[in-house]
Amino acid sequence: MMNQTNPPKLPWYFLKWFCKREYLPDVEGDLLQYYDRRVKDLGIRKANWMFTRDVLLLFRPGMIRSINESQKLRIMDLLLHSFKVSFRNFNKYRASFLINLLGLSTGLACVLLIFLWVQDELSIDQFHANGDNLYQLLENVDQGGGMITRTTTAGPTSPGLMEDFPEIELAVSTTWDESASLFLGEKSVATFGMYAHEGFFKLFSWEITSGNPNQLLTDPSSIVLSEKVAKSLFGDENPIGKTIEYQGEESLKVTGVFKDIPKKSTIQFEFIIPFSNFWNNNEWSQNWYNTAFSTYILFKEGADIDAFNEKVNDYVREKTEGNASHRSPFVASFGERYLNSKYENGVIAGGRIEYVQLFSAIALFILLIACINFMNLSTARASRRLKEIGVKKTVGARRRSLIIQFLSESILLMAISMVIALLIVWLLLPQFNFITDKTLALAFSTELITGIFIILFVAGLLAGSYPAFYLSKFKPVAVLKGALNTSTGEAWARKGLVTLQFTLSIVLIVSVIVVFEQIQYTQNENLGYDKGNVLIMNVTGGLADSLKYSTFLSEVSKIPNVVAASGSNHDMTGHNGGTYGIFWPGKDPNDRTEFERMFCKQGFIEMMDIEIVEGRSFTEDFMTDWGKIIFNEAAITYMGLEDPIGTKVTMFNQEVEIVGVAKDFHFNSFHEEVKPAFFYLEDDDTWYIMAKLTAGAEKETILALEDLHQQMNPGFDLTYRFLDDDYQELYEAENRVSALSSYFATIAVIISCLGLFGLSSFSLERRSKEIGIRKVLGSSEFSLSQRLVFDLTKMVFIAVLIGLPISYLIADSWLQSFAFRIQLEIWFFAAAGFITLAIALLTVGYQAVKAAKLNPVQFLKDE
Amino acid sequence: MSDYKIGEFEEIVMYTVGILHGNAYGVTIKDEIENRVNRKVSIGALQVTLRRLEKKGLLSSDQGETEDSRRGRPKLFFSLTATGKNVLVNIRENRNQLWDALPKVVIDLR
Repeated sequence: MMNQTNPPKLPWYFLKWFCKREYLPDVEGDLLQYYDRRVKDLGIRKANWMFTRDVLLLFRPGMIRSINESQKLRIMDLLLHSFKVSFRNFNKYRASFLINLLGLSTGLACVLLIFLWVQDELSIDQFHANGDNLYQLLENVDQGGGMITRTTTAGPTSPGLMEDFPEIELAVSTTWDESASLFLGEKSVATFGMYAHEGFFKLFSWEITSGNPNQLLTDPSSIVLSEKVAKSLFGDENPIGKTIEYQGEESLKVTGVFKDIPKKSTIQFEFIIPFSNFWNNNEWSQNWYNTAFSTYILFKEGADIDAFNEKVNDYVREKTEGNASHRSPFVASFGERYLNSKYENGVIAGGRIEYVQLFSAIALFILLIACINFMNLSTARASRRLKEIGVKKTVGARRRSLIIQFLSESILLMAISMVIALLIVWLLLPQFNFITDKTLALAFSTELITGIFIILFVAGLLAGSYPAFYLSKFKPVAVLKGALNTSTGEAWARKGLVTLQFTLSIVLIVSVIVVFEQIQYTQNENLGYDKGNVLIMNVTGGLADSLKYSTFLSEVSKIPNVVAASGSNHDMTGHNGGTYGIFWPGKDPNDRTEFERMFCKQGFIEMMDIEIVEGRSFTEDFMTDWGKIIFNEAAITYMGLEDPIGTKVTMFNQEVEIVGVAKDFHFNSFHEEVKPAFFYLEDDDTWYIMAKLTAGAEKETILALEDLHQQMNPGFDLTYRFLDDDYQELYEAENRVSALSSYFATIAVIISCLGLFGLSSFSLERRSKEIGIRKVLGSSEFSLSQRLVFDLTKMVFIAVLIGLPISYLIADSWLQSFAFRIQLEIWFFAAAGFITLAIALLTVGYQAVKAAKLNPVQFLKDE
Repeated sequence: MSDYKIGEFEEIVMYTVGILHGNAYGVTIKDEIENRVNRKVSIGALQVTLRRLEKKGLLSSDQGETEDSRRGRPKLFFSLTATGKNVLVNIRENRNQLWDALPKVVIDLR
């Protein structure tokens, strides 16, 4: 043959791409015939050019293949076909379909709930426009023995920082939030708020609805109200410029109104009064030795935070000429504070982020367990579907289309489950909000929709990939001849996955038991005082006057069903306030350990039922016992006093005599050791009135108290709470984790069992011939079902063996965070193992016995 | 009778297919038209027209042997169908009728 020149490639490919398939050979033939002729007659270049022109002229409607013919529609057809086949399959194998649906939808519902929760946790305090440059000043306090980290700083901190550090744009301090009543003529409202520096509304992004934003907190006698408070005082009137009475004693002019603080903020308040007001009235706040105020800093863009931390470390020491040498300030990003608030020895050590991680892990576990069910059931079912695959392959189905079929089947199932899961979430959300104390809503935000789709496809692909790639691989001949050797590897994989499921379930069960027991322990363990039925009332308005206070107290104790009443500055739950101003013989001058300060009225120790182990309690006579002090055992041990009674110590430069020693009691959570504390009789500053009520008569007693309060302190509402509830709040996080994890563990176990149920029914079906033969050979129903049950629950046994040590390690490390904790007992693990095995046995046993009872003829007659 | 509206180029193609009688495929048809009617024909226009006529049922196609001159591509031979022939006859008659009806004066006067 002659040496042929080929036409230019590019137009040729173009032709092949656009031309209708059935026209192509003829068109190409024409073109090539002309091309060869032209090469001979006119030369290659001319021929090439003409070829290109011809191709371009062919690019016209009649020649271009239509979109109908291209791949898009073929994929649509394929998908439609896959869906049809999927639905038929669902319908045919209803049991496994329902198991999958149930497992996946509950699993997905859990994942969605956790997703909503995590998303909400991550959004807390993230709404401030200055977010990136917003920091909070903390102080590491060296207590001799160890370092504690606090958010409280001295009164002059903010102005000082702004003057001394050019990289600071703005710094503000606030007081703690305190309850107060606001009055407008006859109207009053009980609310809470705090004092803050002028820049407070610039530093944070609180929304101001009326008032001049630049002059909100300039005048010391002004106040800024929340919309809620403004509305309840002024109704629809404009409050700006009006005057209200703070606590009924101080006139303040309203200069602005802000939108109610969203729940997504950790700083909560309903009114703000200028810090200068507090400063002028409280001389103690004007020096560097107090630590009472929260300080927030806005840095200039690009400030070097590390360098600042280095500089500010010595700041308090410089300001106090080395006196307050134990306090080392530093800053931490305000946005990250909510999730990372725990410090150990001055080093960041987690916080709520641990719960976020924990629940994310649980969500992943549950999703994994549900997906494993799906994978197991579909690979197990493979044998049933192998014929379908064989036939499809024989008539020319490519592997790709089979993979698409299986994947679309799993994604379709996942989508149906997702719809059901959304329904479940919608139904459960109120309950979930109640448990978590959130206001989550199923709002279809972009994040949620993206989340749903990501979960849908990741889970769909995860669950569908194994059957899709595994099943489509078989050779049709082998499949149709039935000579398929189900590999042992495959069976092993399936068993391994079941083991994994149950291992996860066991870890979850043990965790639930341990958390529950620890919570029970903290609730029931003897605290060293009796927290039952103690009502804590706030001292407001006129009651602050000490004479009125004692009249009120004695009137309270006369109310029927009030067992005892007394006053204190300490609410018995958590750190309220302390001092290192106590000196005893032999005290190290550098020791800054704080003693918890419990100023109280007579009868307080008795009312709280705190045991005195040495000496005596305070007597009824104020004059004889004023200047006397009672320490707890921890304090005595700390001070190293051999014979404490009668020993004199110095407090606030004043000599006081020890008259008694109280048995240690838990005023902090069980996370912490009992710290040194003391009781001291005090006339002022006992801003709580506490009353012990008879159990069962709380309601009418509180009504009587409210009446009395109304008479003696008109205009002020009685604000009260129960000590029990306060105590619960110390373990808020644990209570939530306990409640939630028990739900999630239950769901995990149910889903695992669903999977085991499906798998065992399948496995018995496959072994029906074996069962038949065994029966024909004389095996008894009992020994047969025993054997089957053992075979099927073997995986669960192994899971128990693997799961228990893992759960031991996890439980142990969690308990380490409590100073007072339960011992890990054998029965926790035995119970978890037993529960799992029992449920698994029940799941499998019924089926095994049913299979063993069947007449062997039924299995053996076919074939 | 005449449900088939065909254009001028289509008519030419159909005549040419008839003329080539048994040897009508892309290249020959194009050559023939270019020789006889003296007009340039692009492969694109020709191919589209052929397919359209085929779809209308006026032409039929027949795949021939593969040929070296076409580098292994088969020739696709076209021929007139019965309907196609009728349409040509019909057109011819219509034209003749119109021609006959034309007064001699009109053409002479030109």
